[in-house]
Amino acid sequence: METLGHILNGFSVCLQPMNLWYTFLGVFIGTIVGILPGIGPAASIAILIPATFGMEPTSGLIMMAGIYYGTKYGGSTTSILLRTPGEASSVMTSIEGYEMARKGRGGAALAVSAIGSFIAGTIGVVALTIFALPLAAIALKFGPAEYFNLMIFALTAVASLAGKSLAKGMLSTVLGLVIATVGIDLQSGQQRFTAGIPELMDGIGFIVVVVGMFAVSEVLRGMEQLYKGTAPKAMRIKGKLWLTREEWKRSIGPIWRGGIIGFLVGILPGAGGTIASMLSYSTEKRLSKHPEEFGKGAIEGVAGPESANNSDTAGAMVPLLTLGVPGGGATAVMMGAFIMHGIQPGPLLFQSRPDLVWGLIDSMYIGNIMLLILNLPLIGLFVRLLYIPSGMLYPLIVAISVVGTYSVNASMVELYLVLGFGVLGYLFEKVDIPVAPLVLSLVLAGIMEQSFRQAMTISDGSLGIFVGSGITIILAIMALLSVAMPFIMPRLKKLQSSEDQAAA
Amino acid sequence: MKADRIILACTLLLAGIYFYAIEQIPTLQIGDPMGAKAIPRVLGVALLITAGLLWWEMRAAAKAKLPVEEASPPVDKGQYVLVAVVVLWTALYLSVFEWLGYAIATTIYLTVLMAYFNRDKWLANVLTSTLFSFGSYIAFAKLFDAPLAPGLLPF
Repeated sequence: METLGHILNGFSVCLQPMNLWYTFLGVFIGTIVGILPGIGPAASIAILIPATFGMEPTSGLIMMAGIYYGTKYGGSTTSILLRTPGEASSVMTSIEGYEMARKGRGGAALAVSAIGSFIAGTIGVVALTIFALPLAAIALKFGPAEYFNLMIFALTAVASLAGKSLAKGMLSTVLGLVIATVGIDLQSGQQRFTAGIPELMDGIGFIVVVVGMFAVSEVLRGMEQLYKGTAPKAMRIKGKLWLTREEWKRSIGPIWRGGIIGFLVGILPGAGGTIASMLSYSTEKRLSKHPEEFGKGAIEGVAGPESANNSDTAGAMVPLLTLGVPGGGATAVMMGAFIMHGIQPGPLLFQSRPDLVWGLIDSMYIGNIMLLILNLPLIGLFVRLLYIPSGMLYPLIVAISVVGTYSVNASMVELYLVLGFGVLGYLFEKVDIPVAPLVLSLVLAGIMEQSFRQAMTISDGSLGIFVGSGITIILAIMALLSVAMPFIMPRLKKLQSSEDQAAA
Repeated sequence: MKADRIILACTLLLAGIYFYAIEQIPTLQIGDPMGAKAIPRVLGVALLITAGLLWWEMRAAAKAKLPVEEASPPVDKGQYVLVAVVVLWTALYLSVFEWLGYAIATTIYLTVLMAYFNRDKWLANVLTSTLFSFGSYIAFAKLFDAPLAPGLLPF
């Protein structure tokens, strides 16, 4: 009953004309950003944060969230018509969707992707609505030690799952934490690693890092592709933008399953849309009556993964809103947006600003409906974005990044840092170091250090506080397991295959 | 493998520089008993542990490698030269950003890049560069009150 009251209150907030406009603006920009190569959700949210400074925080965050889940819709268009996944989570769609487009069923692939995204996105938001309050109530029992262990778990999970190598994931995480130590130490007031540069006293802003590592580095990679002549060419949409009865029958099951898988995986830190869509793909392949069609344009291979990929965004909002701990790169930037608006996400937010939390959650219902409208009848218009020459687009993205960064503090040092982080992001991609752990640890570092110090003050300097309660012990074990997984899993697989061979 | 060796060397070098920089932070006798150095020291150790893990992974990969190594495709060094030139051009753009002003500097920056990457469409390139630069300047600086550098522009 309490939840119902909050939901109704949330709708009264998000249905205000101004908030409806910002929801629309967010999902519209999100769709465009998702379609265009070169700028992902994290960078676009970061670039647009300064534009929301003059707004009321609820409106600004509604718009940011709209961009976040809107990019998922737009990303599928690029995957299907260009065979270029904007993000790793769209890899499966790019395989099956592109094959469908080649067979003249591109319209059906786009339609099932939009409908699946809508249904699964709504499943995700319903689940978020149901689980938000109980989880926030549990999170209220967390003290500094519990929070510290939770953040360690989030970081270790992301480090071990984000890339191919645990060491490189760890390196990215530690580098993020190292970058976060630059600036004035909040407790002692001492300067750390500022090299006497006044602009560094406030630390290195996360907008600088995100814009550099996600947008500028992507531009450098895109320009390299243009030079090599390997930039992909978009296919034209052929056939009706709707499903046949048979296609619909084959899609509905994968959409529901994908929605549930996506939400559950999205809650876990580090897992994210990539694992959700891959899990959905393998599930559908196993359950399908036509497994031989997979890889050659099976509609289930688009419906399931796209649904999982979208439902994952609602799942990812669960730890962000209830615990104040993001589980990946884009949600880390979302958390940064909250903080820049002077709002600390977490369980207390449900008590102090229920209008904001529930307005934001309910705006996702409205945003999903808007996205369905934008991505079905208007998809023909959006697809035209794919025909913008990349040689024009990439330089414009750098200019947009410069405006977005400079308009925060009018600092030239920050612009040079954006360029530096852009080069670093480019090099990271070349040597397979994942970027998401760095951004996540950068956002969490400040709170982590404060939690650690508070816990140590409470315990009179005893480290025992970090294994002093049931919750801390469970979280510590989960953190250890997430680090140990990359070592254990290959051995388990080896053992399994040798047992299978022996049995054969 | 060569890249991994470079990453390992860079990680160790960074750890060394970081430990040196930690020692430059003055130690306070009063206030927070943990001090401003505690967390950086932990992170320095974490960097060393990461380097160790990377070394272990490299060894494991070397052991698992097949006797005949696959030949890697030849790398066109021109792509790296191009990226370096774009980075230098961007640095030059930033160096005159406040002097020329956002709108003028961005117009020149975009026109040059588009002239290379979107060849033979000079009219579209010049129009896009100019309209985008001046349009975004007016939108951000005049409508949103964002502090964009006017430079040589009188408004």
